Amino acid sequence: MGVQTPWEMRMRVRHFAAAALGAALAVAAVGATGASGGSAANTLTVWLQNDAQNGWPDLVASVNSQFEKSHPGWNVDVQYQTWPTHLQKFDATLAGGNAADVVEMGNSEMTKYMAAGAFQDLTANKSDFDNSNNWLAGLAASARYAGKLYGVPYIAGSRVVTYRTDLFKSAGISKLPTSLAAYTAAAKKLAAKNNSEGFSPVYIAGTDWYVAMAFVYDYGGKIAITRKGKWIGTLDKPAALAGLAAFKKFFDVASRASKTTIETRPWPYEPYAQGKVASMIGSSWFSCCVGDKYKSVTKQFVMPSHTNGQPMPGFAGGSELAVPIGADKAAAVDWIAAFTSTESEKVLQAKGNVPNATNLLGNSVNERAARKTWFVPTAKNWVNVENGNILRTMLARILTGKMTIKDAAATASDNIAFTLNQP
Amino acid sequence: MTTATETTSAAATAAAQNGRRAALVRRERRRRISRAAWNLVGLAVFAVMVFPVFWMASTALKPDSEINSFTPTWFSTSPTLDHFRDAINRPYFWDAVKNSLIIVGVTVVLSIVLAFLAAVALAKYRFTGRSLFVVAMIGILMLPQVGLVIPLYVVLAKYHLTSDDPKRALTAVIITYMTFLLPFAVWTLRGFLLGIPKELEEAAMVDGSSRLGAFVRILLPLVAPGLVATSVFVVITAWNEYIFANVLLTNQSNHTLTVWLSYFTGSSRNTDWGGLMAASTLTAIPVVIFFLLVQRRIAFGLTAGAVKG
Amino acid sequence: MPSSQVPDGTEVVVEVTPSWPRRRSPLTRGRALQGALPYLLILPVLVVIGAVLGYPLYKLVTLSFQRYGLFELIQRQGEWIGLDNFSSVLHDGVFWHTLERTIVFTIVNVGLTMVLGTLIALLLVRVSTWVRVLLTSGLVLVWSMPVVVAVQIWFWMSNFQNGILNHVLTQLHVGDFFQHDWYATTFSKLAMVTLLIVWGAIPFVTITVYAGLAQVPRELVDAAEIDGAGPLRVFRDVTFPILKPIFLILTSLSIIWDFGVFAQPYLLISPSNVDASNYLMGVYVYIEGYAQTNFGRGAAISLLMVVMVAAMSVFYVRRMVRMKDVQ
Repeated sequence: MGVQTPWEMRMRVRHFAAAALGAALAVAAVGATGASGGSAANTLTVWLQNDAQNGWPDLVASVNSQFEKSHPGWNVDVQYQTWPTHLQKFDATLAGGNAADVVEMGNSEMTKYMAAGAFQDLTANKSDFDNSNNWLAGLAASARYAGKLYGVPYIAGSRVVTYRTDLFKSAGISKLPTSLAAYTAAAKKLAAKNNSEGFSPVYIAGTDWYVAMAFVYDYGGKIAITRKGKWIGTLDKPAALAGLAAFKKFFDVASRASKTTIETRPWPYEPYAQGKVASMIGSSWFSCCVGDKYKSVTKQFVMPSHTNGQPMPGFAGGSELAVPIGADKAAAVDWIAAFTSTESEKVLQAKGNVPNATNLLGNSVNERAARKTWFVPTAKNWVNVENGNILRTMLARILTGKMTIKDAAATASDNIAFTLNQP
Repeated sequence: MTTATETTSAAATAAAQNGRRAALVRRERRRRISRAAWNLVGLAVFAVMVFPVFWMASTALKPDSEINSFTPTWFSTSPTLDHFRDAINRPYFWDAVKNSLIIVGVTVVLSIVLAFLAAVALAKYRFTGRSLFVVAMIGILMLPQVGLVIPLYVVLAKYHLTSDDPKRALTAVIITYMTFLLPFAVWTLRGFLLGIPKELEEAAMVDGSSRLGAFVRILLPLVAPGLVATSVFVVITAWNEYIFANVLLTNQSNHTLTVWLSYFTGSSRNTDWGGLMAASTLTAIPVVIFFLLVQRRIAFGLTAGAVKG
Repeated sequence: MPSSQVPDGTEVVVEVTPSWPRRRSPLTRGRALQGALPYLLILPVLVVIGAVLGYPLYKLVTLSFQRYGLFELIQRQGEWIGLDNFSSVLHDGVFWHTLERTIVFTIVNVGLTMVLGTLIALLLVRVSTWVRVLLTSGLVLVWSMPVVVAVQIWFWMSNFQNGILNHVLTQLHVGDFFQHDWYATTFSKLAMVTLLIVWGAIPFVTITVYAGLAQVPRELVDAAEIDGAGPLRVFRDVTFPILKPIFLILTSLSIIWDFGVFAQPYLLISPSNVDASNYLMGVYVYIEGYAQTNFGRGAAISLLMVVMVAAMSVFYVRRMVRMKDVQ
């Protein structure tokens, strides 16, 4: 910047001030118009997770146009949310009294909001939804509170084993494992054949409690049960301990992942795509991201139980659609009915999701896996158990040997009971 | 060199001069060597500080296969602009750029004007309640903002500013940012005003105008660097803000760049690392350009304000 | 003083009128206006802040005395429970552990930021111009990086499978960091967060201190050097006293920011990995108050945090409030 006289500078300042004043007036004008009435009354606001935006935007668009055709004067405003922050935003809109008309919730997020009275009762509308008598048991249960229905199952995910056919073949595994013991033996063969640094025959993140609890439920254990209205932690019971012991044994043989890391850091398919993994346990959509190199040699099978020929129960994760209080219930129900119709669910199924009802289930690997599932205790404080990382802490202690299985499980069990019984 | 007729004292002087010159040369050489050494240290610091930025840009240019490779590579062997193309073509990218520019632009202009007025009051007048005002400004800087998100949403909803209408939604974010940036701006600008020599102010009053008139006509130009310095802080903070924007802007077409960016990692499915790094690089570029444009002035500005503060 | 040098080299010639009275007589015309003027000047700021923050602040205080969970949020009606929120927080071991951890964390972070930032600023004075421009530009790049972006890069560089940090440290034979989990223990988690925060905070400190150094009169430094003072003594006796106000401001701001820091630890440690064993105050208030929708408790923790950070920066606040600097 060259030499300026004060006068020139003053001029610039004056322009600056004028611009500022203009902007201020513009904002003031905006503020003034803000007071005069809201937007069109007939807007149905729908909050979906951005999985829909990335995966099946066409379905959303066609359901919207169908809805708008059958509801003249209405338009649908779909606002995509992200999983990490949607609850905080939802809380704010609840407090502000302008929540959306339809919101997508993770099924493990439902209980707390149902208990607090955030949603409208849909019990009387149940028959409006296709296949509502055959909804997947896990999803249907997490949409029900105190005998009433507050959510409509939308999609489910299932957990399967994604594996490299070429590596299984070269390790001499001709038959896919049908029991945990067979899978363990296969893992040993894979390890012997592939001895590069950090190679995992079966990649499991150390604190992936979704996998670990599947072992617990497979051995007949549970995380917690209610008795006389009080929660009791049951991870220290013999069946659960057997499951945890089996998990540790399997992990030690099969996984070279960090014993302290979570299942999204890295995602299991990241080392898989790097060629460092022969198989991984997790969501069926993991096959999306195994890398171009391995796409053609990647297949899936159902995670076997310790009982030969049985599947191991997988976490019944999924989404529900709920109608917050204050929303236009009739319109919301119509939109949900269209979005979860048999036709729509077939589209979702084609995108690799598990549809919401048993009569729609096909025979693909992920749909077979969805037939046997487990779910977290439906307690309103369960979220706090997850936030408190009680299960993850327990798993890290067990796998690193900092505590015996028994002690770690007993500590976790006490913590869980304490948390769930908080008022 | 010297003739025999010259006195010993003159010879001594010359010798001394020579010695001094030699010392100067030695000192100069030492200085050059030490400067070269400091330069090396400077380059090392540069390398360490900038490495994360470099790594971001380098990853953005790599094809997926290289990003996923088990052994990291420094530079891509076959660089590609695909990730940048993907990022720009993602829905709402240009909306987000526009929204960020509007929000930051209006926020900085309004904050600076209002803060300047208040700073004048603080720096030049005594009045009852002055110290209360100062304490309130500092107190606001100390508030944990995460605790204010929901009540703030409620109050803005009462003003009908939480709707999908872009003007209202952006206004909500702008006044929120102003609320949290004004205290900092008031305090910094007050420091700059205190830095102006009294003589200038008094001279300005010779023509009989009021104190305020003197300020506007003569002294405002002198505080320009302070205004620039403060606006840099406001711009960077507003551009990078995420928590309030995320809650207040429900409609995707109203999102700012940082909120738009969060959709790369917010899915329940895989994260597109290459796309995320490319998008991050793009997000950083406007701020860097702005900063490079004004950085020569900020060096002076920050000093003037801070020393007197 | 016949002339003074203003920022960008403009020469401003000023006629000094020594006899001009310091202050006008209080009886001149427009006295009432003069009296009201400062209030008119601060009015816009008060209006904006009051309109936006007035209700939230009132809410924050009242909520801290109420049971206010999700149910109450939906009903918009809390139940008055007096000091229960405060006493439950103050009787919670997690609160005290978190406070202790946060104080240590703040001291380490502020200390590192100030020391490294100052050292780099001192370095800037000693290097050639081209290195200085290069280094400042680099610092600018770092400063302008949004936190969300910085966190992603940081995590990307330190990831367990193929983090570049692990790779480089192993290649340099610092040790075997192949598949080292940087987020395994509380200490190493917070150490990574510290690196991230200090890295991000250095540019602001360096550029400010460097600007301050430019104000230190060269003659004073030369005089001290001729007296045989080493660089350390020059810094202690000449540079530091002049820069003291800058250090005071930067330190206090850093304390305020680092004590309540939220985004960096929450995102870098990862939302599914933050818990009582690694909470900092900012994360603690978010999880225990807002993620768990216990808003009354969150409000109580927020107020306690304000009190604590005020106590930590009381020195600075007192300086700010002192009236002497009105001209």
